[in-house]
Amino acid sequence: MIYRPPFIKQGDGSRCAWQNCGCAAHAMAAMRSRLGRDPGNEHGWPPTPSAIRNQIGGGCDGTDLNENDKAVIHLYGVDMWVRYNVPWTTFRSLIISGRGAVLQIDYGIIAPTKYDASPGFYGNHAIYVNERRSSDGAYLVYDPLADHRRSSIPQGPQWWPATLLQKASYAMIGTPAGTVNASFTRDTEA
Amino acid sequence: MPVKHQQRPAPKASASVEEHRKHAEEFLAKEEYKQKPEKYNGRSDEAKP
Repeated sequence: MIYRPPFIKQGDGSRCAWQNCGCAAHAMAAMRSRLGRDPGNEHGWPPTPSAIRNQIGGGCDGTDLNENDKAVIHLYGVDMWVRYNVPWTTFRSLIISGRGAVLQIDYGIIAPTKYDASPGFYGNHAIYVNERRSSDGAYLVYDPLADHRRSSIPQGPQWWPATLLQKASYAMIGTPAGTVNASFTRDTEA
Repeated sequence: MPVKHQQRPAPKASASVEEHRKHAEEFLAKEEYKQKPEKYNGRSDEAKP
């Protein structure tokens, strides 16, 4: 059984909360990498979006994969594999073989679906993907916006169809056709 | 001249976990996927509460 981290929402009332998708997604990825185990250092545990945001510093601009990677290395000793232009089938292999991933997507693709957790939002977003279900190829997605703050908003991890995840990640501007941009956890299943 | 390595196709979804793991490890070792493309922004935007 693949370890499933607890869901961590970005809308936690902290500074820059609604720009903290990358921080929240990396907090969940850090939990997966460590299988929930506290590194026992001075930075506190479990991971939080605000701790990662504060480590990155600066204002409330959106964050990128490399900034979050540096922050989780410092805070939790978790070194992510940040990769660009990853062929979709390779992304699939990385997940099947035992890694979680923070995946960058265009939320405009999610907006018209039942998975929309931020009505009116159509921008760049980051989600955490924990695993793939072999029966139908769906992916278990932790959207940091899916906190059920209103009855119409999904709650916690959801199984997204592969076609939807693929389309949303392909739609990131500047991404070559057929590829995605993501940061991967260590292989926790090896 | 740097050598551009050809990315081997990923195994089918139905392949064994070990085949996927081998492909994953080969991919992660390649240098050319580590650099953010110049035209790629990659920053998230502000969501709606």
